[in-house]
Amino acid sequence: MSGALLLGWRNIWRNRRRTFISMSAIGVGLLLVIFYSGLVGGLLGEAKSQLDDGGMGHVEVFARGFRGKHDVAAVMRDVAAWRAGLALPARSEVGARVLARGLATSARGNEAVQVFGVDWADEATLSAHLRQLRLGALPGSDDVHGVLVGEQLAERLGLKVGSKVRLMVQRADAEMGADLFRVRGVFHSIAPTIGQRQVYVSSAAAQELLGVPGAAHQLVIQLEDPAQADAVAASLKARLGDDYEVLTWAELLPVLKRMDAMMNGVIFGLATFVYLLVGLGVLNTMLMSVLERTREFGVLMALGTRPSRVMQVVLAESFWIATLSVVLGASLGALLSWQFSKTGFQLGTGGESMQLEGATLSTLVKTRFNPTDVFRAAGFVYAMALIVGLYPASRITRLQPAEALRRS
Amino acid sequence: MAVVEVENVTRVYEEKGQAPSPALRGVSLLVEKGEFMALAGPSGSGKTTLLNLIGGLDAVTSGEVRIDGRALGKLSRPDLADLRRDRIGFVFQAYNLVPVLTAAENAAYVLELKGVPAGERRAKVKAVFERLGLGAFLDTRPMKMSGGQQQRVAVARAIVSEPAVVLADEPTANLDQATGAALMDLMRELNRERGITFIFSTHDPMVLSRADRVVRLVDGLVVAT
Ligand SMILES: Nc1ncnc2c1ncn2[C@@H]1O[C@H](COP(=O)(O)OP(=O)(O)OP(=O)(O)O)[C@@H](O)[C@H]1O
Ligand SMILES: [Mg+2]
Repeated sequence: MSGALLLGWRNIWRNRRRTFISMSAIGVGLLLVIFYSGLVGGLLGEAKSQLDDGGMGHVEVFARGFRGKHDVAAVMRDVAAWRAGLALPARSEVGARVLARGLATSARGNEAVQVFGVDWADEATLSAHLRQLRLGALPGSDDVHGVLVGEQLAERLGLKVGSKVRLMVQRADAEMGADLFRVRGVFHSIAPTIGQRQVYVSSAAAQELLGVPGAAHQLVIQLEDPAQADAVAASLKARLGDDYEVLTWAELLPVLKRMDAMMNGVIFGLATFVYLLVGLGVLNTMLMSVLERTREFGVLMALGTRPSRVMQVVLAESFWIATLSVVLGASLGALLSWQFSKTGFQLGTGGESMQLEGATLSTLVKTRFNPTDVFRAAGFVYAMALIVGLYPASRITRLQPAEALRRS
Repeated sequence: MAVVEVENVTRVYEEKGQAPSPALRGVSLLVEKGEFMALAGPSGSGKTTLLNLIGGLDAVTSGEVRIDGRALGKLSRPDLADLRRDRIGFVFQAYNLVPVLTAAENAAYVLELKGVPAGERRAKVKAVFERLGLGAFLDTRPMKMSGGQQQRVAVARAIVSEPAVVLADEPTANLDQATGAALMDLMRELNRERGITFIFSTHDPMVLSRADRVVRLVDGLVVAT
């Protein structure tokens, strides 16, 4: 070990308690920042990559004119034929939907609903709640009058598996269309609004009900890597032309994009605040520890130690304290992040999800352990240590050796 | 040629809220290679101040100090540090060893600054320790040594890099009479054996009696040589 590093290492152990306190303060600060980064990363990362809590796509395609006015006559034709040629990234999950707004009626009453006409197998990959049936099962492929409802709607309309429910919608030709369906299953969604509003029928049944044979309103694409959304959207736009509207998750759920930026700001602010507080404490300790050894530094200078080397010895001390703190804080932070990446961390006491401008965020957050977060946080600590070392060192090197030697 | 040249040096301490106090008021002095010289004088006469100026630990108010013909006032702080490292050894009244270093590491400190490899450092320190009767204390921390032993380590630290001059400010003041006398004898022997120039300050008649030459300071002026 080089002289300055060795001297610095031995010096920090002269006052074990002081070193231990500094180390714990920085370590705990680091742990907080790492854990918090992991939590936010988990919350947003999950929300971005797992849009199936809300049944949304990273990229969605509509016929131009459908969105906004919700004009059910603005349909996409022959989706099944052209979607095979889209050249999507491997392991993408894709499904077409027929969409309608309407009324569900049972012996108990009526409720406003959104009718989803889907391919059962496709939809089960897109929407987490279709994999979460509390009662019954997915309807078979030839079951044109089967319907799935959410727990909340079933509760309000008094529906059980086998119950009859009437769905009424406004057709593409502006007439009213209605048909009788039979409940085949009841699903659970972490979002109560989904459980209350969404009902699922086969696409054939929905097309019949709306009078749009062979058509669909929405093509939903969930990607393995959300970062590819822009590229996929661009290629779809080029391929499909102006009759179609292609939107990415960032456009469909601008709130997620905004939160991403905001959370990075919040983490940066938190880190700055934590390290500022910790830094001031450590600066004070460091200043005391260096100034009470002024005379010893005077001796080193008298023996021919250059000012730059005195600086190195002091910085070596803060370097070692930083290193010990990083080892302590990063390992505890990583451990905590790892633990909560398995068990998840329950945010708040409310429901299973938060609704945020159309985005469904699960409140059970599995933290994401990201080595970059740790490196960034450790970088902060070293930068702080450097700053905290420079000032006491400069207080010494400013002195003539004779002056330093006179101090007791 | 004189190793140390002090030419009409003054040093005035200016402290806030106090009248400027002249500690040296025009001191001139030549010290030849191989001298064993004492600075005497009552408390407050300027002995420490003069030694500090000779060693480049402080800056003169006016006048000039030269070591080996090099004017200290013209050197930058790093160059001054290098000059001390290469040409000057110090022994302080209060031993002033670094507590976290062993005796041998303390003595080797200047060699390390000079970039001497570890093995060579150890060999040189070992030889000097044996000469000073410290052979058994190489790896002992200063805290575990007596005052006399610590001061011998300080002497070892000052001479191991073979400086042109060793400056010692009241080196025996913290030692009992017998230990102090032994230390003076040792320094005298090193002076004779190795031709190292010594300048020490003292109040002690025992120490003065061993010097080749005594320079007496009173009130910041040299009164008799
Ligand atoms: N840093 C300083 N600031 C102000 N005055 C000082 C300073 N150092 C020394 N003095 C004053 O300068 C004068 C000479 O001091 P110096 O320490 O050189 O004397 P000395 O001969 O070494 O005394 P002693 O025998 O007590 O060690 C004294 O009056 C002292 O008070
Ligand atoms: Mg003195």
